[in-house]
Amino acid sequence: MTEIEALAVTGAGVVSPAGFGLAALRGWDGAAQPALSGPRRDEDYPPIPLVGIEGIDPEQYLGRKGVRHLDWTTKIALVACNRALAELDPPLAPDAGTRTGVVIGTSTGSIRSSSEFSRETLVQEKPYLVRANLFPNTVMNCCAGQVAIFNGLRGVNATIAGGRLSSLSAIRYARNAIVGGHIDGALVGGVEELCPQSAWGWHLSGRLTGDTAVGEGCAVFLVESLPSAAAAGRTPLAELLACEVVSAGSDDRPVISHRATAAVRRALERSGVAPADVSTVSWGCTGHVGLERAELRGVRAALGGRVPAGSVRVTEVAGESFSASGALQLAALLAHWAPDGSAGAGSGEIGLVTSIGQDGVVGALVVRRR
Amino acid sequence: MSGTPRRVVVTGLGAVSSLGIGAHTFAAGIREGRSGVSQIRAFDATGFPHTVAGEVHQFVPEEVVRRLRVGDWGRTALFAASAARLAADDSGLDAGVLAAARTGSVVGTTSGESAVIEALTGQWVRDGFKRLDPALIRQVPANQIATAVNSELGLRGEAQTIATACSASNYALGYAYDMVRTGEADFMISGGADSINRWAHAGFYRLGALAESVCRPFDRNRSGILTAEGGVALLLEPLEHAVNRGARIYAEVLGYGVNCDASHPVSPDPTSIAACIRAAHRNAGVSPADIDYICAHGTGTPTNDATEVKAVREVFGDRLPPISSIKSMIGHTMGAASGFGALICCLALHEGFLPPTANITEVDPALGPDLDPVPGRSRPASPRVVQNHGFAFGGNNAITILGRVA
Repeated sequence: MTEIEALAVTGAGVVSPAGFGLAALRGWDGAAQPALSGPRRDEDYPPIPLVGIEGIDPEQYLGRKGVRHLDWTTKIALVACNRALAELDPPLAPDAGTRTGVVIGTSTGSIRSSSEFSRETLVQEKPYLVRANLFPNTVMNCCAGQVAIFNGLRGVNATIAGGRLSSLSAIRYARNAIVGGHIDGALVGGVEELCPQSAWGWHLSGRLTGDTAVGEGCAVFLVESLPSAAAAGRTPLAELLACEVVSAGSDDRPVISHRATAAVRRALERSGVAPADVSTVSWGCTGHVGLERAELRGVRAALGGRVPAGSVRVTEVAGESFSASGALQLAALLAHWAPDGSAGAGSGEIGLVTSIGQDGVVGALVVRRR
Repeated sequence: MSGTPRRVVVTGLGAVSSLGIGAHTFAAGIREGRSGVSQIRAFDATGFPHTVAGEVHQFVPEEVVRRLRVGDWGRTALFAASAARLAADDSGLDAGVLAAARTGSVVGTTSGESAVIEALTGQWVRDGFKRLDPALIRQVPANQIATAVNSELGLRGEAQTIATACSASNYALGYAYDMVRTGEADFMISGGADSINRWAHAGFYRLGALAESVCRPFDRNRSGILTAEGGVALLLEPLEHAVNRGARIYAEVLGYGVNCDASHPVSPDPTSIAACIRAAHRNAGVSPADIDYICAHGTGTPTNDATEVKAVREVFGDRLPPISSIKSMIGHTMGAASGFGALICCLALHEGFLPPTANITEVDPALGPDLDPVPGRSRPASPRVVQNHGFAFGGNNAITILGRVA
C-alpha cells in the first residue's frame, strides 16, 4: 500500500441554507431551520422538514448574460465557484485556466430539470414540443461545463456520480488528474438542489428520521498540488490526505460497518496518520435510519474504540444534501477549525470526513489542518 | 502513488449492442457495415416525426447476469453489469481471483437511469408525486450503474460513475488506466452505458440534430445523429500479469488526454479539440506520425464532422490517418459511445482491420482533400497505434490512445 501525496485546499466557496461561506456554517446554531420562502414555498412538497438556500440572487454574482436558462443546480454551483475564486489570495493567474479543471459531484444533475423536461414530452400536444434551450440542463455534466465557461477553466472537466459519496469520489477523481499531471489544480466539490422530486424521493424512501430535513447546497474547493499552491503564493487552508471510497457490495448493516472501518483504517494508514491523532470527525450519516449507527460503529472501531471530542454534523445546517454532503462536511470541518479560514493554534490537527450510502458505498477522507 | 508505473493492457471485452450481445458479435456486425438501427419500441414514439433509433432489442439481462436480481436495477445499470460480466468471462480470469483482488469499476454515462426517471415522470403526470414507486426511486442515482457492475462481479473496490455525457467512457478508460498503472487497483472494469429515452429523442430533434432514418457521418448529405443505447466494458490488467497467465491481449492502453472548450455548451471548438489530441499524444508518448487510425466521435451532424476533421487537420497536417465513425451503424450510444469506440479499436489492433463508416454515398468535399473514412465495409490493415475520440456537450473532450503490444 503506497502513501499518497497531500493536496492543498487553497480556496473554498459555500452556498448553503445557513448562508454564504464557511463562517455561516459555523455560526449556525442548528435550532431554527428556516422554512422555504419565495416561489418554492407554494410547490408540491411532502409534509416533512425542508431547508433551502434563501435570499441569494445568482445574477448579482454572475451577471445576467447566459444565466436565465440555467437551472438551480447550475446556478448555486456557479455562485459557489464564483465565491471560491473571488476570495482566492492571490487569485488564479490569467494563464492558469488551461491547467485548472472542474470536478463536480452530482448523482442526477438537476433531477428537476430532467424530470420536467421529460414531463413535457408527455403533456404537450406533440411529444417533441420541448424547449431546445432547456435540453442541455437535462444532461448531468451541464453544471461542470458551465463552471468552465463562466470561469475560463479549460483543464479536465468531470462530473462524478457517487450518490452520497459523490463529493469524495470527485476528490479521488481530481487527485488522480492532478497527480497524473493532467492539471495543476481544480475546483472540486458537490452540488444538490432541493426540489419536489428529491424531497418526495426522500419522503417515500423512509430512509430519514422524522426530524431530519431534506436540504440542498454546494461547496467547492480549489484543490491544487502543494508545489502549485506554493508557486502561486497561496497559503493552504488545509491539506487533503488519503481519500478512500469503496463499494461494500452489500446493504447489510454489519457488513457496511466493517467496510467503513476498513476504509477509515486504510485512509489513515495511507495518510501516515495514527488513529489516535484524529481529533475531529465530520459525520455523513446524521439522520439516516440505521446508517447513523453503522457509521458511528465503523468509525469508532477504526479509531481504537473511541470517538474524538470534535464532532461536526453539517446535516443539522444544510439538511440531507445527498451529492453535496461530502463537500459540505469538508466545508463544515474547515469552518469548525477556523471560521475565517485563518491559520490558528491547531495547525496539524487531523480531521476525518466519513460517509455511507444506502447502496453500500462507504468512504473516508483524511484532512490535515494548516 | 510511488513505484514504477505498470503497463496496462485490455484482456476482456463485453458489449450489449444493437448489433448483438458480445464483443465479437458486435464487431462482426461493424466489420460488415451492418446497421443496428430499427423502429423504436423502448418508448411510445407516436407523434415523433423521427421514429428510429439504435435500440438493443435482443437484450434479456437474465441470460447474461448471474448475481444481480434484475428487478432491482435500471436498464442502464443492467447494460453496464451485463457488459462487465461478458468482459470478465472473455478475459478468462477466474471470477474468484477478480473479486478477491483490489478490483474496481468505472463507467461513463450521459443520462444515467433515464428510462427509470421517465417511468417516474409518468407516475407523477398520472397520479402525482405521492404515488411514485419507492423501488424505482432507489434506482435513480447514476452511481447505481457502476455499483451494479461491482455487485454483479462481487467486486469490493471503487465503483466510479463518470457522467461527463458523450465522452464519459473515454474519461472512464483514462481513469481505469491510471488506477491500474499506478497500482491503486489490481484490475479495473472500464465501461459505458446509456438507455434511449423520450426526452433525449425530443431534445435532439428540437436542436435540429436528429437524422430522419440514416446516420451518414462525413457524407455530403449527412443530417444528424440517431439516438441509441447499449453497454460496453473493457477489462484492464497489468501487462506483466496478463503475460504470466498467458492471457489473450487485445491492446495496450498507451494514454489519454482530457480538456474542456470552456466556450459553448453545445457547439464544439476545433482548436480546443486539437489541444486535446496533442495532450493525449503527449500523455501516451506518441507523435502524429505514429497514429494509424482514428475512431472518430463522428456523430453525423454537419457541425461535428466539420469541426472534428478541422481539428485533426490542425494536428496531422497533410498526413491524415484513416478516420471512421461506427455511429453510422449503431447510432449515438451517448455515454457508451467512446467505450464502443475503444472496444472496436482493441479488436482492430488485435485482428488487423479498420472499422468502416457505413452509409457514405459521397464524402463531403467541404471536409477537404484526402479524407479516408473507410467507406462501406471494414478493410484489412495492421494498425499499430490508434486514437479514439469522444466529445460532449459542455465542451468535454476526451481522447484515448491504444496500441498493439510490442
